[in-house]
Amino acid sequence: MEGFEPRSRDLNKGIFTIFPGLCKGCGLCIEKCPKQSLHWSEVLGVYGTPTVETNEDCILCGICAMVCPDTAIAITQKPRDGGEKNTEKKEKPLKH
Amino acid sequence: MAEKPAMPASWRVESKPHKFCPGCGHGIALRALGQAIDELGIQDRTVFGCDIGCSLLAWDFFNVDTIQTHHGRTTPVMVGVKRANPDLICIAYMGDGGGYAIGAQHLVNAASRNDKITAILINNTQYAMTGGQMAPTTMPGQKTETTPYGRDPELTGLPAQGPEMIATITPEGAYVARGTVSKLRQLKKMMVRALKCQMEGRGFSFIEVLSTCPTNWRTNARETWSFLEEKMPQYFQIGEIKIPVSEGDADE
Repeated sequence: MEGFEPRSRDLNKGIFTIFPGLCKGCGLCIEKCPKQSLHWSEVLGVYGTPTVETNEDCILCGICAMVCPDTAIAITQKPRDGGEKNTEKKEKPLKH
Repeated sequence: MAEKPAMPASWRVESKPHKFCPGCGHGIALRALGQAIDELGIQDRTVFGCDIGCSLLAWDFFNVDTIQTHHGRTTPVMVGVKRANPDLICIAYMGDGGGYAIGAQHLVNAASRNDKITAILINNTQYAMTGGQMAPTTMPGQKTETTPYGRDPELTGLPAQGPEMIATITPEGAYVARGTVSKLRQLKKMMVRALKCQMEGRGFSFIEVLSTCPTNWRTNARETWSFLEEKMPQYFQIGEIKIPVSEGDADE
């Protein structure tokens, strides 16, 4: 309850965090994801319903965090610096 | 670094997860309101009044002074608070049943008196807390508990156009808009403008928010979005309906 049990996934450009202590499993975020990168997870949420998790296709757009009625998703973007240019190029072919 | 949920500072963290159903739009509407309160920095002098219905589940939602009133009587209670202490920022939060059915008289009179309060009305097209009965805003053909064959406009009329009605009866200076929970940023801007309208003493401000109710619509996530974004705008047009003319605008 206190920290809402965050589960983070470190993606190249930032961090996707889901809070199972807040997620009620409504699935609104899954429908809104432009990359279809969200899917149901084994971890159960506050009402005993499945929570969500993301795969590598996530572009950290933050739409899921914006449509979540329970603020159960947080997206943090890493600050851009020169060293990350290579990873950006690598990510491009993933867009389809 | 431990990640924290992106909750507005005016939210009461101890009462989270909140009491609304999974997929309920109230959470998004109240997030927009919380962000607006944060942006204007008015948390210490805001009074939040909630109605009977699903909207009463917001009674411990914010870290602001909150009153829970009788059904439909949020508007007059907030008008009273505002008149007793004009420095306070009064927000009347209600559902479409409380605003357009039992509380319509109060909403109409407060609007025509141009009382300096902000009314926020959540439209989810039915009475959700009692199990989904037909409300004034139910869409034609929509199945509810009391219209099992779909709402018949011949018999029960068309959905109530609240903001259009309020825009007609309010004097100049009022702010009237209709937002939707699928556009959080736009909704937050509307909330900021409505609260500013009250703070500057221009007049009545009213926002209707199109919201979701997967529990009583009996929809899954995909159908919930399509009902909110495709079906509801057929009758409820989203946008600002009445904007106060600011002092500088006349010269430009």
